[in-house]
Amino acid sequence: MSAAPLTVEGARRARWRLRLRNTRQFARRYATRRDGMVGAAILLVFAALAIAPTLFVGPLETVTTATGAPLEPPSLEHLLGTDEAGRDMLNLTVHGARVSMVIGLLATVITILLGAVIGIVSGFVGGRTDQVLMRLTDFFLVLPTFVLAIVLAPIILDIVGTDAEFFSIRATLFVIVVVIGLTSWASTARIIRSQTLSVRERMYVDRARVIGGGRGHIMRRHILPNVINLIVANTVLVFAGAIFTETTLAFIGLGDPFSPSWGQLLNAAQTAGAPGLGAWWMIVPPAFCVVVVILSFTLVGNALDDVLNPKAGLRR
Amino acid sequence: MSIWPDPTHLARAGEKGRLEEAELQVVDPAALQGDLPGDISPPPGQAKTGDRRERLLPRLADPDAPLLVVEGLTTHFRLGGQTVHAVDDVSFSLEDGEALGIAGESGCGKTTTALSLLRLLPSNAEVVGGSVRLFGIDLLTKSDKALQRYRWREISIIFQGAMNALNPVQRVGDQIAEPMIERQGLSKTAAAKRAGELLELVGIPKARRKAYPHELSGGMRQRAMIAMALACDPAVIIGDEPTTALDVMVQAQILELLEDLREKLGLSLILITHDLSVLAETCDRVMIMYAGRVAEEGPVGLVYGTPRHPYTQMLLRAFPDVLSGRRDLGTIPGSPPDLRTPPPGCRFHPRCPAAMDVCRTEVPPEVTFDDRVRVACHLYPPGSDGASRPLPTAVAAGEPT
Amino acid sequence: MNARYLARQSAQAIFTIVMIVLLNFILFRMMPGSPDRVNPRNPNITVEQRQAAKARWGLDKPLIPDQLVAFVSSTLQGDLGYSMKYQGQPVVEVIGDRFWPTILLIGLAEVIAIFGGLTLGAYTGWRRGGKTDRVGNGLSLILYSMPYFVIGMPLIIIFAAGLGWFPTSGMLTAGATYTGPLDFLADLVSHLILPLATISLGLIGGYSILMRSSVTETRAEDYIATARAKGLSDGKILRAHAIPNALLPAVTLIAINLGYVVGGAITAEIVFNWPGLGTLTVDALNARDYPVLQGIFLFLGVSVVLANFGADIVYGYLDPRVRR
Repeated sequence: MSAAPLTVEGARRARWRLRLRNTRQFARRYATRRDGMVGAAILLVFAALAIAPTLFVGPLETVTTATGAPLEPPSLEHLLGTDEAGRDMLNLTVHGARVSMVIGLLATVITILLGAVIGIVSGFVGGRTDQVLMRLTDFFLVLPTFVLAIVLAPIILDIVGTDAEFFSIRATLFVIVVVIGLTSWASTARIIRSQTLSVRERMYVDRARVIGGGRGHIMRRHILPNVINLIVANTVLVFAGAIFTETTLAFIGLGDPFSPSWGQLLNAAQTAGAPGLGAWWMIVPPAFCVVVVILSFTLVGNALDDVLNPKAGLRR
Repeated sequence: MSIWPDPTHLARAGEKGRLEEAELQVVDPAALQGDLPGDISPPPGQAKTGDRRERLLPRLADPDAPLLVVEGLTTHFRLGGQTVHAVDDVSFSLEDGEALGIAGESGCGKTTTALSLLRLLPSNAEVVGGSVRLFGIDLLTKSDKALQRYRWREISIIFQGAMNALNPVQRVGDQIAEPMIERQGLSKTAAAKRAGELLELVGIPKARRKAYPHELSGGMRQRAMIAMALACDPAVIIGDEPTTALDVMVQAQILELLEDLREKLGLSLILITHDLSVLAETCDRVMIMYAGRVAEEGPVGLVYGTPRHPYTQMLLRAFPDVLSGRRDLGTIPGSPPDLRTPPPGCRFHPRCPAAMDVCRTEVPPEVTFDDRVRVACHLYPPGSDGASRPLPTAVAAGEPT
Repeated sequence: MNARYLARQSAQAIFTIVMIVLLNFILFRMMPGSPDRVNPRNPNITVEQRQAAKARWGLDKPLIPDQLVAFVSSTLQGDLGYSMKYQGQPVVEVIGDRFWPTILLIGLAEVIAIFGGLTLGAYTGWRRGGKTDRVGNGLSLILYSMPYFVIGMPLIIIFAAGLGWFPTSGMLTAGATYTGPLDFLADLVSHLILPLATISLGLIGGYSILMRSSVTETRAEDYIATARAKGLSDGKILRAHAIPNALLPAVTLIAINLGYVVGGAITAEIVFNWPGLGTLTVDALNARDYPVLQGIFLFLGVSVVLANFGADIVYGYLDPRVRR
């Protein structure tokens, strides 16, 4: 290390240089993972679609602005056919990307926040708190959380009222986000807790060197950086799960009929009897997108996990 | 009553490790066809109880030759596109009934050498050169399937840390019996009975046969591993750091047991360890390895008493001696080389206080002197008298000069 | 099997069930607007029934302890209230009617998926690399990323609507009369195949990936090296040493997964209009039939806990280290 002056400023700059070097190293190692790169590329495409759908297919078609005849198979005019109300499937599917991804993102944020906080606190503080929190976590792991979500959603909707809006998001969507977050945090909490425990083991050696600083400080500045790698890899996989769950919940009917997430589109297809009618074009586009996106997240998540948290390679 | 016969019939009278002509069994060549008897199972049901420990030797075997001769063994690992030269041109021999110790720092290639004998290497490793002759038969020329037949029946291994080397969900007795059933065709009951006898032999009550590994103490697990290694009556047992994970008292017991078994059964032993004191107790000869090559090799008393190779000298300096007065323990400055890019010439030269110019360019030749000590160091070139050239005390102690 | 281990697992299971009942209470009684969910002004419920409900659960009494006690005791007696949608039919009956079709479907699917997935995973995990591994792993990943209904819908389109090999929905043909048990069985099986295939495929992907990674980790263990050193054949090592150990985390993860399977099965039932708990849930959801929803939640929750308990017993049988 070059002789940086022993000032706070110098130390900060040294830290940034180290972070830059680590990031470049990480990028290089990640680039060797073909599956991770493919997944990341696909996700970039979908992110673009999600950010500016109107750029690609124009404004969202509604029942009143439908451009085609009902249930038309794919043609030159409508590349993916039309749904039961005559709306262009390509249009709906691309707009669906935004809804699905946004819901997924928000739900993931809640899940990771809950899971990380509970995991770190539980692992670090230990003792009674740990026992209680772990009981709670195990309970949520055993519970059929999907059923819980189904049960919780209408209750919250009833309380809040279907027309309410939070941060300009309709209540129905918001409820899904909250419900997914509330029911998916358990496995994240478990993973993070066990990593916190092993970091804490190492910490006890260093703790003598930590001058002052209460538990919160130690948790933030010492445990968190060591756990963050795990959190990042886990976040991506949680995102995949959130989209999975959102799609399923919407399919069941908990979605918002006005915001066509992919699950919502599949719900519409099912209600319209598309499978029995052989109207595959109503089903395949959203289904394909769901599978591809979830698959990409899984590939990226696995690649990240391997790169960030290398386990001992081939042993004997 | 011991299940094993008194092995003195293997003519250990007089010099150790020499086979008497009279003990060579005459062999039906058609039955062997140049292969070792390891793959001839006794007819099913015929347990090898009591009787003479029959070791059929191929007619081609030279009775004066050592049991095991390794020449120029070279093993490479592939790690992320690069080649790790883990073992480079290693040669040694093992006489019947002898105990050879292989010592060196972590990563010097001792374990890899041992595993290479039977090609028990991970998939990214490969033996790229040399020969391994057991009873005169080169094992390295055998296909994987053929080699499988010699495993455990001729050479068995005791791994370090028996807790992980034993299957945690299988009873100990079953694990000992397994090679007898699978490789020798014994019936389940016969094998179980033998397993019990083996356990008794290593000092574990027969009833513990039903125990699982986690129910045994560390020392007992190691004994169980020894019993397992004896199951098929091998010619050679390789102990890979068998006592490293144990505390000192248990360590002494295990070493005593190994010595005991060696005497009773006439076993040949290859003991791998980084603990030189262990070697001093149990081995006849010792081989010091450094960075994948042999540094020095010879009878224990000579190598320890008058070490020649600078590495050996510094290594010995690093070990405390209970009997001598207080002195500073030596260290060897620097660290072992990265075997992906080993230094040219003598691999020890970057850390060697006696390094000369020739050491940086030429690989030192292995020279065997009259007292049967072999050294690979330019300080002892061929034709020299082989007298030990001690490093100055301060240097040997690693102190800055 | 150690009595202490059994006792410990039973205690945990009972504790979890208690928590579920409590959670039920919180959800359906303590949330704002609750009494209306239990006793709404629904024309389907007669005044007498509403009075009876009020009396039974003491809806005018304080929540804790009176309502709680009433709730718990009536639950334990199997009284889960009355459905709002189904003309005041007891919830227990409503659930009971739909229980067997779901068990049949999920049970069979799990059995197929466990055998198929674990075997495939073990094989690919042992022989890493090679075409079967890459194809198998790829397929598993894709299946793992597909919600059950995403698997089901194309199956219907291709095999039912398209090729006409199987009926498109339902468990039995509506209004059919059967000449004998075989006839009945044939009808049932033809309806069963597609939904069964859907759920099995969905599960196989996950289980195969799980077992593959478990076997891969086990492969690096020292006792496998010992087994190789013993000169045992590759197949013998896999069967006698690798699989028994690789099964341990697999069983644990399968048990944890049961909660999700239940959820997924709901969606599969919708696609096939299978008359099980899944379709019941959705109907109840749409009708806001809270007593039924509550009953389903309780029922499914307890089922999963019991299934986990069963898995714990199996695990104890497989791993001697936990038995003490």
